[in-house]
Amino acid sequence: MNFDWMTAHVGMPLLKILILLVPVFTVVAYMVWFERRVLGFFQSRLGPNRVGPLGLIQPIADGLKLLLKEDVVPANARPFLFKIAPIFSFFPAFVGFAVITWALPWVTASGKTHGFVVADVDLGLLVILALSSMGIFGILLGGWSSGSKYPLFGSLRSASQMLAYEVPLTFSVLSVFLLAGSFRMSDIVAAQQKLGWYFLFPGIVAFGVYLVAAVAETNRTPFDLPEGESEIIGFHTEYSGMRFAFYFVAEYANVVLTSVLAAALFLGGYDIPFVDDAALYAAHPALTSILGVTAYAVKGAVFAFFFVWIRATWPRYRYDQLLRIGWFVLFPLALFNLLLAALFRLWLLR
Amino acid sequence: MKALARFAKMVTFWELAKGLGVTTKYLVKPKVTELYPDKRPVLPYRTKGRLHVDVETCISCRMCEKACPEGCIKVFPPPKEVFKTDKRPAEFLLNQEHCLHCGLCVDPCPTGSIHHSQEFELVVFDYRELLFDKERLPYDLDQPRYRWNGLENARAEK
Repeated sequence: MNFDWMTAHVGMPLLKILILLVPVFTVVAYMVWFERRVLGFFQSRLGPNRVGPLGLIQPIADGLKLLLKEDVVPANARPFLFKIAPIFSFFPAFVGFAVITWALPWVTASGKTHGFVVADVDLGLLVILALSSMGIFGILLGGWSSGSKYPLFGSLRSASQMLAYEVPLTFSVLSVFLLAGSFRMSDIVAAQQKLGWYFLFPGIVAFGVYLVAAVAETNRTPFDLPEGESEIIGFHTEYSGMRFAFYFVAEYANVVLTSVLAAALFLGGYDIPFVDDAALYAAHPALTSILGVTAYAVKGAVFAFFFVWIRATWPRYRYDQLLRIGWFVLFPLALFNLLLAALFRLWLLR
Repeated sequence: MKALARFAKMVTFWELAKGLGVTTKYLVKPKVTELYPDKRPVLPYRTKGRLHVDVETCISCRMCEKACPEGCIKVFPPPKEVFKTDKRPAEFLLNQEHCLHCGLCVDPCPTGSIHHSQEFELVVFDYRELLFDKERLPYDLDQPRYRWNGLENARAEK
């Protein structure tokens, strides 16, 4: 175990994690601000604009408020599980960011490559899917360990919803995998660059299925039955203070993660539109990286805006309608699309 | 044909897209939120704010005092000898705390000395700040938000 090994396997990843976590936490915090603000605009209001210029310090104020609130553990709760459940939701939402490639790898003068990614694993997409399935445990445990029947029902609803929508989500991602031929995030973007157009066109059905399933997976309107803002009693009824904030932040981290993932899968990720990235990279590597990350951020922001947009527009589905859409519409559609993607791959992408 | 159109609408999620269009319209529309402490509202012409009295033009006729349903105006005319030459009140008490902002005192005033101003922020820490006598009666035409737009016209009419 020499110094080089330590640098390559401990030092660099830790540094990358630090460099990644700061913007990710910031973006997730400001996603809350963005949503409240834009939702206000949609409703002819202005949204939070009192704390700091344009209300930009609002997330910090919210966090402080939740941090200073009393942490209540109900008498009937199972304390250990009750306390650990929010972590189960919080952790997978943030780990998913580790496998996402943010820009073209950076090649140093000595020929070493440093990817703009914490862990460029070859099963990156599967890691994200597996982690998002783990997030269900947080909800199930939170509902069950509260020792109250309403959170239990909420968590059961949530679990069956997430199971129903996990399947179409996986199948839509699978068709992208068929088109790209790899689960590695950077390979998927590279395949789109090689193809010349983004997978949005050959995978338009998969894109639709992914969007609907992602909205359902992140428990947002019109599929927000698990939590249901103020009308339905959800799985985090008994949670207060910082533990509730964990669930809250996890939801928004999931929104950001699915937005970023959708941008990578269907809109070419860090590929700069209308520009030959490889040629630009040969000329100006640093500029390409900056432009690439910017393009990626813009593409992700489009999806994030879409999430807020549909929340401002569409009413909530009834529970039986929700499950019917999941199993009877999205699932066959995703299967059919998988076939289409396979044929496309077989005949056109050889 | 009708069925075909319905099918096309279903496949393209026409209704959902229409809803998105409606909310987009609201996104770019002007907002209705009042930015009150930052941006002072433009009040209507006939806003009935705090009562302002010009004790210099008042002729102590006590019409406002009689008109006031709350009895929050008390006018004390000067002694008879003084009144012959100088009709200005010896004392003018106004209890803004009990004022209904009904405007009944403004109508009978023959000189237009009492009127409502545009000033609407009447919240105070001590109720005594709302009790006015002759010395403390607010009357400052130079301050634009105290000005009553119709004052000059009303005087010209009378």
